[in-house]
Amino acid sequence: MANWLKIAFGNLLKNRRRSLVTIMGIGIGFVSVSLFYGYIHNTYDGLRNAAIKGEGIGHLTIYKKGWFLKGKFEPDKYMFTDAELGKVKAIAKTDENVVLVTPQLSISGLVSNGKMSTIFMASGVVPADEQIIKGDWGKFRPVQGEKLSEKKEYGVEVAQDLAAILGMKPGSNGVVMATTPDGQMNALDIEVAGVFDTGTQASNDKYMRVPFSFAQSLYETEKADRIVVLLTDWQNTEAVRGDLLDKLNKAGLECEIKTWNELSQFYSKVRGMFDMIFMFIFSIVFVVVSMSVVNTMGMAVVERTREIGTLRAIGVKRSGISVLFAMEGALLGFIGSVGGAVAHTLLCIAVKSGDLSYVPPGNSSSVPFIVDLLPGSMLILAFFLISLSLFAAIFPARRAARLNVVEALGHV
Amino acid sequence: MALIETKNLSKNYHLGASVVHALASVNLTVARGEFVAICGPSGSGKTTLLNLMGVIDAADEGEMLFKGKDVSGLSDNHKTELRNNSIGFVFQKFNLIPVLTALENVMLPLQIQSISPGIAKTIAMDRLKQVGISDFAGHRPDKMSGGQQQRVAVARALVINPSLVIADEPTANLDSVTAKSIIDLMHDINRTQGTTFVFSTHDQRLLDRVQRKVILKDGRINGGENNG
Ligand SMILES: Nc1ncnc2c1ncn2[C@@H]1O[C@H](COP(=O)(O)OP(=O)(O)OP(=O)(O)O)[C@@H](O)[C@H]1O
Ligand SMILES: [Mg+2]
Repeated sequence: MANWLKIAFGNLLKNRRRSLVTIMGIGIGFVSVSLFYGYIHNTYDGLRNAAIKGEGIGHLTIYKKGWFLKGKFEPDKYMFTDAELGKVKAIAKTDENVVLVTPQLSISGLVSNGKMSTIFMASGVVPADEQIIKGDWGKFRPVQGEKLSEKKEYGVEVAQDLAAILGMKPGSNGVVMATTPDGQMNALDIEVAGVFDTGTQASNDKYMRVPFSFAQSLYETEKADRIVVLLTDWQNTEAVRGDLLDKLNKAGLECEIKTWNELSQFYSKVRGMFDMIFMFIFSIVFVVVSMSVVNTMGMAVVERTREIGTLRAIGVKRSGISVLFAMEGALLGFIGSVGGAVAHTLLCIAVKSGDLSYVPPGNSSSVPFIVDLLPGSMLILAFFLISLSLFAAIFPARRAARLNVVEALGHV
Repeated sequence: MALIETKNLSKNYHLGASVVHALASVNLTVARGEFVAICGPSGSGKTTLLNLMGVIDAADEGEMLFKGKDVSGLSDNHKTELRNNSIGFVFQKFNLIPVLTALENVMLPLQIQSISPGIAKTIAMDRLKQVGISDFAGHRPDKMSGGQQQRVAVARALVINPSLVIADEPTANLDSVTAKSIIDLMHDINRTQGTTFVFSTHDQRLLDRVQRKVILKDGRINGGENNG
């Protein structure tokens, strides 16, 4: 075996420049795929966290069946009573993946500073639960002023553009007005506890967060319109959704459950686009790598025709010749991948130490530009490129194996 | 039983409408331990005959018996194994593998037989000593003279203890002194170890001490002499 590897390796060294060009092609292909993958991986992570933690929608949101179709007209009928909430909580908590089950109530109406008013949308959230959902995200997009608190029911968080429009800052007072599910007008005093950045321009001028009990008071209801479930790991989202739906149905609670990515359209759209770009880059690399390996090994077969004849004469079978050249192709893929992995690592470190940031389209503020270093994915990519080089080399290798021994020996 | 026996061996080449009878009904027997020179003018069929005897080419008609067995029906893999186990080759252009050292080149036929590198190395080194070139064991072919390369090639041919060594014009790319030393080397091995050699050459001067000559002309045996 060692001698065969030496023949393969020695010939790559002998045609140094040609091998180098091919290896660089494979290496650049590796880096472009893995860098882009590292970037979108990081972006997906960020967007996922922004949805689950930032928007506070958790992993799963449970609605009563029919909420989306008929909830607007008969909200009361499609909301959860305290007793139902208790049932759902008890059922959901039996799943070990579930960290938290918390009720929410979405409200909308007008917010006024005394002189002028504008529309708002708000989530009524249990303050303590909201902190658990936010987790470390809270540090990334901190709230100026105070956070929501059980102790101060009328203290609300206001999105930064909305606060600016109304000239509000932490400590300012105002009034919110809304129509209750029963069709009554209701108004309550508020005090701005904190100001925050939602992350997207579209929501920064109308969004608020209020304590759950405050939302209930404004809507004059004892109910919640949704129940948010937080899991230990986002990867289990789909599995838990199925299980939970089964259990709820069995318990006689007709529900529907949406996942975080169904509710966060931004994530799905960005992902759709990036996945397509990824496939595009990947296809180009696929074609370039296979073509350059076919070309390099094809030239090698022509140049080494007499060597092939000699090896055949002294007893190497056709299959042996095939293996020899396929191995040489795989070796190109291997060296290219190792080079690509090293380059990727160096570039990752450079990007990280460069402390770069940018404002993605639709975002209200900049996010750090980070490329993830993913050894597992890089290993898979390397394995793929090595196999691709090997398979690409099989075409010229088979041609070499089929050569007529006498003719090959006569080749100059 | 003869080592090689050809019966009405024929090989034709078609060039457009005309047919070249490269070999026409050749009947030749080579016994074990013989040292046979094939001679004849250019185009007389020497290479064609040696390729058939070396089992790297197939005849159009006739039989080619190796140790009494007709090889024409063998599969490509069986022919390849036969060559690997029983036939050594020495080529006009040496045909060493350029990226391997002399020693590695000589080890190669053994490694094709799946003999472990350690044992292969010992045997190969012995062969290099035998052809007087062990000092160059670690050298690549391009760092050696033609004569040195051909000695390595002879060692490579001998390393498997072949029943037969085929050498098509082994001296054509060498100066006359070196050419003679290569023929002498082969002759020595033939005498001391009884290895059968069949080789071709143009050079009459090399044929003085050859035991047996076969003369080809237009693809036919046109005489021969036996000094043995
Ligand atoms: N591949 C081929 N295609 C067509 N004709 C061929 C081929 N190989 C050999 N011949 C012809 O067959 C005949 C015998 O050729 P061969 O090579 O055996 O002769 P040779 O005695 O070895 O000649 P030389 O001394 O020049 O090497 C010649 O007429 C040659 O032209
Ligand atoms: Mg010839």
